[in-house]
Amino acid sequence: MTIRVLNPTSEAVVEIMQPAPRLTSLAGKTVGLISNGKEGTAGFFAHVDRLLREHYQVAQVVLRTKSNYSAPAEDEIIDEARNWDLAITGLGD
Amino acid sequence: MKPALNVMPDAFNSQYFDLDDAGDVQEFYHSRGWTDGFPIVPPTPEAVQACLDWVLMPANEIIGIEPVRERAITAEKLAINAVMAGCLPAHFPVVVSAWMAMLKEEFLLHGTTASTGGCAILVILNGSIRREIGARSDFNVLGSSDRATSVIGRTIRLALINILQVSPGAIDRSTLGHPGKISYCIAEDEEGSDWLSLAESRDIPKDASAVTVLAACAPRQIMNEWTSKPEEILDTYAAEMRANMRNYSIWSGNYVVIMAPQHREHMRAAGWGRKEIANYLFEKARIRRSEWSTVGKGSVIRDKGDTEYCALPSPDHLLLVAAGGPAGGFGAIIPPWLGAKSQAVTAAIGVCIDCEPPSQAK
Repeated sequence: MTIRVLNPTSEAVVEIMQPAPRLTSLAGKTVGLISNGKEGTAGFFAHVDRLLREHYQVAQVVLRTKSNYSAPAEDEIIDEARNWDLAITGLGD
Repeated sequence: MKPALNVMPDAFNSQYFDLDDAGDVQEFYHSRGWTDGFPIVPPTPEAVQACLDWVLMPANEIIGIEPVRERAITAEKLAINAVMAGCLPAHFPVVVSAWMAMLKEEFLLHGTTASTGGCAILVILNGSIRREIGARSDFNVLGSSDRATSVIGRTIRLALINILQVSPGAIDRSTLGHPGKISYCIAEDEEGSDWLSLAESRDIPKDASAVTVLAACAPRQIMNEWTSKPEEILDTYAAEMRANMRNYSIWSGNYVVIMAPQHREHMRAAGWGRKEIANYLFEKARIRRSEWSTVGKGSVIRDKGDTEYCALPSPDHLLLVAAGGPAGGFGAIIPPWLGAKSQAVTAAIGVCIDCEPPSQAK
């Protein structure tokens, strides 16, 4: 005699998202940095900013910081990101 | 002949498996990462349906939606995990209400469960349901005090693992975690206390049962058996709160204070109630940022050394809980995960008069 048991997981089918088109060059582009605001982010993103400008000829680097580092970025940041050519986010923890 | 329960497998949306025996079930579930490492009770359709009937919910009822990843939590999936954890149907209303509370936006469930900080979800029970399910509030209250609180707390974790992928190394990025992440549920000793219950102090009607959930660190036990003065007893609790502020997190939030009968008796004799205790700790549990220099964190004081921080944003943020065995001048503080980024949520446990289980409705 068998025992019938149920699957405890969500079994959710997650929609596969299409990645944004890849850039062939960063030269002259606008890059946005989304910081979580933790202690180590200032130095980390300052270094990323310098690398982007000096090594990749990025035209503009925009730094935005979340108000709560454990929550998603605010809608205003996401809306603004639509104007960027590239967005970079990281922990900098 | 009528079956024991009106259950057909197709009443559920979940995939099912026909396995040889209970031993096979253990290995099948362990091998897929669907457990916490302990044996589970096989979640048969009959056992799952019994939980759903107890709360009068159809299988596809949405308990809530995790707001960050937008994942729906259904009664069916919660019941499957409750059965696995060892819940009886009578335990399931507590599980449902706890999850409804956890899914409130102010609880920040995703942040609390994904954080490197490694907090657990503490569940505190109030009201008559404690007695109905045999939850104990005395000996070993922060350990394996009884069946009900053990399996309810375990369900919280199993459901996180299975429904929201909060497995270690997946969504759960805890550096250390703590033992409360196996099970972390207590009941307040309302009969042994003349205070308002925690739930009543948070605006739940006296006759309702309720759960309070908090994203919480591990308990920090204190002991002071050498005074009967409320101020001196509470100075020990405040010192532990200050130690947490220096060593772990300085930010204000919901701190739990667990007070066992011996300290409560001294409070009662002196006429100190919930309000007086909260006001005293609000004044005493404070540090200046400069104190970080005494614990090796001097590099981040900067020019804010004189800034004062309080453990509690207000006296009302203290979650004072009467619990513990009869002997000993012990108590505990349970710090919040990270200040007020996640807030304690209290929810009444639903009741329904003259309702029929959906599976038996005509």
